[in-house]
Amino acid sequence: MSEAVDTSGEHELDLSWMDQKGPWDTKAEESRYGLTLADIQIGEYGETPDVSDNLTGRPRGSAPRPGSYRIGNYAVRTKNEIWLDNASFLYEEALQRQWSSATDVPWHTIEPLPDDIEQAECQLATFFTEVEFVAGDVPARWVSETTPDFFEARQVLLAQVMDESRHMDVFRKRAMANGGGLMQATGATSGFVGSIDLSRDFTEMSSRLHLSGEGAVLTMFRMGELMAQNEAEKAMYRLCAQDEARHVAFGVMHMRYMSAAAPERREEIHCYLDEAEGQIVSGVGNPAARGGPVGESLAILLGGGKDKFDEGMNMLTAIRRRQFREYKKRIVSAGFGERFENGRSRLMEMFEEAA
Amino acid sequence: MAKSSKASKAKTAKKAPAASAKPSAASDPAIAATPTLVSSQAQGKADSGQPEKQGPVLDWMNKTRQWGVRVKPGKAGLRLGDLNVGIYGEIPMQWSDQSRNPRGAVPRKGMPPVGYAVREKVGMWADSAADLYEEAIQRRWAPATDVPWNTVEKLPSDIERAICQVCTELSQFANVEIETIAGWQHQMVYGYHEVKQYLATASFDAARHYECFRKRALVNGGGLGVEGPGQVNRMILESSGGWSATVAYLVLVRAVFTMTILKYLARHAYNDAERFIYEHVLQDKARLLTYGLDHLHFAVAHDDEQPAVLATVLAIGDRVLTRDLRDPALREALAIIFGRGIRGARRQGMEMYEEMMADFMQTHLGYCRWLGIARAPAEAMPPPLNRHAGASVAA
Ligand SMILES: [Fe+2]
Ligand SMILES: [Fe+2]
Repeated sequence: MSEAVDTSGEHELDLSWMDQKGPWDTKAEESRYGLTLADIQIGEYGETPDVSDNLTGRPRGSAPRPGSYRIGNYAVRTKNEIWLDNASFLYEEALQRQWSSATDVPWHTIEPLPDDIEQAECQLATFFTEVEFVAGDVPARWVSETTPDFFEARQVLLAQVMDESRHMDVFRKRAMANGGGLMQATGATSGFVGSIDLSRDFTEMSSRLHLSGEGAVLTMFRMGELMAQNEAEKAMYRLCAQDEARHVAFGVMHMRYMSAAAPERREEIHCYLDEAEGQIVSGVGNPAARGGPVGESLAILLGGGKDKFDEGMNMLTAIRRRQFREYKKRIVSAGFGERFENGRSRLMEMFEEAA
Repeated sequence: MAKSSKASKAKTAKKAPAASAKPSAASDPAIAATPTLVSSQAQGKADSGQPEKQGPVLDWMNKTRQWGVRVKPGKAGLRLGDLNVGIYGEIPMQWSDQSRNPRGAVPRKGMPPVGYAVREKVGMWADSAADLYEEAIQRRWAPATDVPWNTVEKLPSDIERAICQVCTELSQFANVEIETIAGWQHQMVYGYHEVKQYLATASFDAARHYECFRKRALVNGGGLGVEGPGQVNRMILESSGGWSATVAYLVLVRAVFTMTILKYLARHAYNDAERFIYEHVLQDKARLLTYGLDHLHFAVAHDDEQPAVLATVLAIGDRVLTRDLRDPALREALAIIFGRGIRGARRQGMEMYEEMMADFMQTHLGYCRWLGIARAPAEAMPPPLNRHAGASVAA
């Protein structure tokens, strides 16, 4: 049956673009946890190039336009420089486990504390307010310099930026919630050579940030029960630890991938780890380092007051031991465990001395 | 210099395939970490895990600019903006400190600068940033589990192809937003932390948008289409001279354009999953729009030069946008979606597209008027913007 069609007033269409497309007939299916990033890594859409030639910022798997401008200017275009195998999982978990420092911390449980303890708490909170966002600023910068062909890794880093924003914020809130205030900054994340900010290689940055700095902080947050004076602080540490575990996992999994994909870089990475261990031990970025405003604050909080400083210091020593142990486990997991066997790392030696 | 223990040396001799035994950073002063964190008392004694005997120094105690602050949570909890009391709420117009000294803390002297390019309040501030930050956290959603993916059903091939094209381009828009915000954020000083914190939510939102449009393209028998023409993308990324100019492009042009598209897509969604995506992305984008308008308003109010600069920026933007609009892919894909197929695209679809573009242009021009940024009259704009700017929009 035919019908007379009035074509007056109709727009002409080009439609040539309809033939320019990526692989077709793609039908990703939901898994147990919904439609995850892993679920859409199917067919060619799941293939990540070892070296990305995508300089226009096109979504991976889309059809390129020959006339597109090279606006990407990406410094990170080699997969092993940033990749990790479980990025999809870490990203989806980050989305599921977001929390609010405004409403998920039971602030009403905070009650006035003795002055020395409140001061110690506020000094610690000042330190965290100061340092938490180095882990926001720096991953953000690397995201902007990484090709979207490795978007799964970028998504995890963007989740980290979000997490760190909340960490900076929850400690600022704590400092102002109980009759105290901010105290003195430490300068821990200033622009000194060897700092997280100034790394010129992503993997080196990740060793400083994810493995050394955040690894040490994660152990501390996990021991939050010991430092906390109330339920609000316990919640704060618990929630931060949950986020921090993902950030550290990024570093471990990236190192593991790098180690397997680029064995020629292993010695270089050992050099980064030499430095990272120095930082864990001597205190840059490690709040549990002995002495100084943060170490002393921790001793007061752990001991339960200025007059129980020595007890607190002993507990801090135990936390340091645990930091070393957890660090070692991560490095072994990342594939660089031989440094603990061949005498290159002195960390365990120091641990044994302390034990 | 400390040496390795005998036991570990013995092991070294047997197997040291990749990592040779070298003095560790902890023991080698040449590669030891830079001493900034620990006090002078602690330095040099820090590489022992053993308890020290001497007592605390406690020289950090009582170092505060304001004590006795007790901010109580309100109905919506303890919000970022609630903390702006006393000296902690003093937000100066200049922030020369290039460390991460939190606003209101006692600064530490002698720290090498981190290096921030945006150090003036006028270059980044928006009064709403703290509220937008908290709102973003309260209104979070997860594409994997919150989108009712099971409502997506097989569609006619022309419609599926069109939706996939639009998703490809929207995903690429989100990519530019990610790269732009992430590329600026670390350049912003610490003194205006509320803005940095809000922007952290904005780039995370954009990550979710990047993801959910990709998911939609790959879930229903289609795939990704062809990448966008990228003229506006280039313009946003190239506008690296000042954040306010970037905001003009990222928000006043791109976000208003994207939001208008999403509004019309939501009206023409083919299933609940798409409707959910369009509405939620729109909700996220509304925060970016609020930040952008609020920031530009602040910039215009505190910098006499800014209205003229932004007028120039946007006049250039008009010409760049028209080049993108000449490309048929996004236009025709939207017309196919609105017209429920190629056939309907030729008339109703394109009419709806024209209406959408008029809506976009007039919303955009309305914001420019509100901000006091002079714009060319409709007839002086390059085509097709002249047509859209001059058209009347149905309420
Ligand atoms: Fe953190
Ligand atoms: Fe972290």
